[in-house]
Amino acid sequence: MAILIDSNTRMVVQGITGREATMIVDHTTSYGTKIYAGVTPGKGGQLVRGVPVYDTVAEAVKYHQVNASLIVVPPAFTLDAVLEAIANGIQLIVVTTENVPQHDVVKLLYAAKQENVTIIGPNTAGIINPKDRIKMGSIGGDRPERCFVPGNVGVISRSGGMTTESSWMIKRAGFGVTTSIGIGGDSLIGTTIADLLALFEKDEETHAVVTFSEPGTSFEEDAAQFIKEGGFTKPLISFVAGKFTESMPDGTVFGHAGAMISGDVGKPSLKMKALRDAGAHVVERYDEMINVLQNVLQVKVGDAK
Amino acid sequence: MGRMLEDASKTLLKQNGVPVPGHSVISSSEELTADQLSTPKVLKALVPVGKRGKAGAIKFAETFEEAKVKAEEIFRMTVRNYPVDKVLVEEKVDIDKEWYVSITIDPQKKIPVIIATTEGGIEVEDLVKDSPHQVVVYHVKPFEPLHPYQAKEIWSRLGVTGKPLVKATSVLCKLYEVFTKYDCTILEINPLVLTKDANVIAAASVMGVDDSSLFRHPELEGLVESGSERSWRPLTELEKEMVKVNDADYRGTARYTEMDGGEIGFMCGGGGGSLLSFDALINLGVRPANYSETGGNPPEEKVAGLAKGILSKEGVKGLFVAHNISNNTQIDIMAKGIVRAIQELGINPQTFPIVVREAGVNDEEGKRIFEEAGITYFGEDRTIEEAAAEMVKKMKGVS
Repeated sequence: MAILIDSNTRMVVQGITGREATMIVDHTTSYGTKIYAGVTPGKGGQLVRGVPVYDTVAEAVKYHQVNASLIVVPPAFTLDAVLEAIANGIQLIVVTTENVPQHDVVKLLYAAKQENVTIIGPNTAGIINPKDRIKMGSIGGDRPERCFVPGNVGVISRSGGMTTESSWMIKRAGFGVTTSIGIGGDSLIGTTIADLLALFEKDEETHAVVTFSEPGTSFEEDAAQFIKEGGFTKPLISFVAGKFTESMPDGTVFGHAGAMISGDVGKPSLKMKALRDAGAHVVERYDEMINVLQNVLQVKVGDAK
Repeated sequence: MGRMLEDASKTLLKQNGVPVPGHSVISSSEELTADQLSTPKVLKALVPVGKRGKAGAIKFAETFEEAKVKAEEIFRMTVRNYPVDKVLVEEKVDIDKEWYVSITIDPQKKIPVIIATTEGGIEVEDLVKDSPHQVVVYHVKPFEPLHPYQAKEIWSRLGVTGKPLVKATSVLCKLYEVFTKYDCTILEINPLVLTKDANVIAAASVMGVDDSSLFRHPELEGLVESGSERSWRPLTELEKEMVKVNDADYRGTARYTEMDGGEIGFMCGGGGGSLLSFDALINLGVRPANYSETGGNPPEEKVAGLAKGILSKEGVKGLFVAHNISNNTQIDIMAKGIVRAIQELGINPQTFPIVVREAGVNDEEGKRIFEEAGITYFGEDRTIEEAAAEMVKKMKGVS
């Protein structure tokens, strides 16, 4: 078991003929993940690394019964691509595009909510489930095995790169992951930490969750509230980066667009406190995660499943 | 969010049918003419920061002489790190009541929200907390305009009636049109003035435009400073240079923020990894000379340009390069760019400590290039924090 993606996932890549998408298709297929179809308007009939390209998502659904879409299109076309996927019954949409206009994000998230469609991102490196060797997105690059090995820890990260690094830390501690998810670096995203904790709670193979956070937004505060209400009962190990930003002037952005502190909202120290109060293991230094994982999971290094 | 100065936002509001006070912009008090000042005026520092009133950067003048004196006072000010180069001169409106309205995106509900109150002159955040019944918080459905009946309901709930209700309804619908038309992150009118002759005028405006949307707004060219949210003061010369390096090629990112003092040049990434790396150095008791963030597979030219910028800051005696294990950034390209920069600047890694922690795509070739140049290289055998500790240890020898 894992969350969001498994062997029943039938992926289509919207924008498959682009430079970035072609690289992702290369890495994904060599990892062993099957991509059923691609969509680029006007390029129907072509093949990209053996994957058939269609003009519309409707055709990809008709011929391949795709049920999940990876969107790798430029910012100006992202809203329309998401609306097309929703209109054709796609249930899971991973939006990799960075710098999507906020008003478009508002629209696409709203449209998805009306139809109960799950959106990961925008601005995400994606999701990976190493047991089923399936990934959606650039996550893991050309060698996903380097950092993502099957195991019993879930990873939720606001940074794509730190999704990979955190999964590698888990491997270093002697464990592996069920599913690792980069939720996207923006402040307006489809699926938040609390949403994913709810899914990990239900996933029997997941015994603990690691989160990597940054300044800005109230995702961590919301997650803490969710835990307090009993929505998530497994061990949570959390790290919040960017404590130095608290001594910088208000409203300045470091790192991702979502990482803006305004007043008290978004301060790492307050996020850490909220999570700690909810019972999470909040580590001060990132490297402490290794020891905490070993203690929490009470499994000797090397004994991990 | 791209900041827009008040004269620009007022001009846009006016073009879109929102009544605003007559206004002009001066660069020195000499430009004020007696003719211009036949009526009372408001003088405002034209700087891209809020709370100017509190800072004393908004002044009222009844006469020409008074206006000259007050304009000079404002020109001598620096408002929250921004020296005043321009002053906005506005007609003083005949105020009956001061209202407030803002339109923004609710980060919780992820849809647009209008906040309105007829209790002017106070902090709206406090009002929401203390007297929520005096504030209307109204969410608007995406894909739809603000219908006149909705705007009317907002004001009616606040007790507005008669001609002011009709005027305020029309103004709010137009404000919402502006909000969506220009991809605003915020449009705040404080105060929205009800004049003694029952007109509704946007007396002060704050407008922020989403940087990501500028590609579809050629009409805003020059009015919005792209990337201005990343700074709390005007950009330094070095920062401006680095913006050029970043903008020269769309591939990858290279962002640079200068810090006060510091001895360690900081070249890390990506968004999360750079925050972690900066915290790691601070925790070890040292101060980086800058913050930077690079990633997303930048080309060699961009890497070299950023590295040179970081190294050119006075007082920098070492360089720390660290990234999370990369998903797409090519480590050999990073290595080539950095080595090129130190060679062109004649830097010797024997006397100028450079510690690198880079792993991911093409890292074997990257390792070879770094080590051949005499640079201390770590791959995935070390954590970012361990590499930071190594950097600090090496700095002890040079500072």
